[in-house]
Amino acid sequence: MIQLHNVSLAYQKDASALNDITLHIHKGEFIFMTGPSGAGKTTLLRLLYGALTPTRGQVLIDGQNVSRLTPSEIPFLRRSIGVVFQDFKLLSSRTVFENVAITLEVLGWGRADIGKKVMHILRQMGLESKIHLTPQRLSGGEQQRVALARALVNEPKILLADEPTGNLDDANKNQILNIFKEANVKGTTVVVATHDRRLIENSHKRLVTLSKGDIVEQLEKEEGIKPF
Amino acid sequence: MSGQLFSGRFGYFFTRALINIRQNIFVNVVTVGTITLALLIVSLFLLVFVNLENAAASWSERVQVTVYFDRELSGQEQSSLRSSILALPGASRVSYVSRDEAFKRFKSRLRGQETLLEGVPSEVLPTSFEISLKSSQRDSAGVEAFVTSLRQLPGISEIQYGEEWVRRFNSFLNFVRLLGALLGGFLVVAVVFIVSNTIKLTIYARRDELEVMSLVGATRFFIKAPFLIEGIIQGAVGSLLALLLLLGLYEVFLHNAGSFLTFNPTSGLSFLPMEYGGGIVLAGIFLGFLGSLTSLKRFINI
Repeated sequence: MIQLHNVSLAYQKDASALNDITLHIHKGEFIFMTGPSGAGKTTLLRLLYGALTPTRGQVLIDGQNVSRLTPSEIPFLRRSIGVVFQDFKLLSSRTVFENVAITLEVLGWGRADIGKKVMHILRQMGLESKIHLTPQRLSGGEQQRVALARALVNEPKILLADEPTGNLDDANKNQILNIFKEANVKGTTVVVATHDRRLIENSHKRLVTLSKGDIVEQLEKEEGIKPF
Repeated sequence: MSGQLFSGRFGYFFTRALINIRQNIFVNVVTVGTITLALLIVSLFLLVFVNLENAAASWSERVQVTVYFDRELSGQEQSSLRSSILALPGASRVSYVSRDEAFKRFKSRLRGQETLLEGVPSEVLPTSFEISLKSSQRDSAGVEAFVTSLRQLPGISEIQYGEEWVRRFNSFLNFVRLLGALLGGFLVVAVVFIVSNTIKLTIYARRDELEVMSLVGATRFFIKAPFLIEGIIQGAVGSLLALLLLLGLYEVFLHNAGSFLTFNPTSGLSFLPMEYGGGIVLAGIFLGFLGSLTSLKRFINI
């Protein structure tokens, strides 16, 4: 589903953010990426949804070479990828309902279908009573669930998450993790970048550790991860 | 089918633009306010300029060519000369001034001192033809050309046309036009700069929206269209408000200002003609559209 072949990326000439990364993520897999700040986790995710192009190497998503896509083809790649961030990136001027509906409006869905689908996913997220509120009126956990609803409402093939639980307490972290797992069970490939060890320990998934732009460790899910 | 799809899409973009205006009312008020003020300044300038041009046109009616004769002309002479003068290119009106008429005018100029003229016979004054020129013929070159062809007519010797006055009036008009073009040019550049920067700032304030749309896979056109429609609406509303304000200012302050400015004492200042109003609205729409388009280009590369 996701293949990186000898991918390097340098923001400036002599400071590379990723060095010769080769990584394969299979269809329906759930993996964690971890590592200290500046290790290259965010850069790697940005390569996957076409916000960056590698300086060297190739990024393939579902057989499609992302670095060869033209700017007008990138949107169509992104329609099969859901993305969530630590700061949620919700639109403060729009209601919860409108924030989630954006994804389907972009796809050209009719109003009635959008209404049904958005209500369905917001009900799953336990947010049906908040549809008319703007994001500022919600707690951090609720805001992240809205962001997840926006990312998952069109049932994407891939879900990318960049520090999704960075601003949340333990109860909310578990709730978010469960939503990832449910999406994964339904067939979505999930990639979560985090340095939250507890989140990783609780989930027993494949773990890739990055440091200074290199993959320094890969643990398969059977191996688990030793608690600190 | 594709037409239906297009109108459906357009409907969506238009509704989206209206909702965006409601949801971002503050930035929209700022943008519309800036466009209104900027275009108000431009239209005030235009109003003054148009009235100056009108005044110049009425002043230029004083450009007259007079042909003098030292005797009274018979009716037949008058009419044959009149028709040959009117046949010359550029002549618009010809009137004959008899000795009596000339004497009457002279007397009225000496009002209060008429006694000076006692014993002066009307025969000392010449008779004349006063010729008004078409407006296109009223500049120095035009008058000169007319006078040259007038001299070719038989029976005409003495011609006067206030060369100095025509020359000065023309250089004054040219100066006013040059000043107008320069000031107008600077004004337009300043307006474009201010409006496009305001729009840039308001779009910058909403860059999250551009980023989120791009993340969920919106094409550039899909992201831009509602912003462009918003820009067009802002430009149209701003320019209409500017015209309304101008009309208000005109009715309250400027309507009667002409009498003390002696531009056009009979009618005062006139308001902008319809086509200028239409031009200002079009300029507003164009400003809003282009301002949004160039600002979006800068921010959509996420």
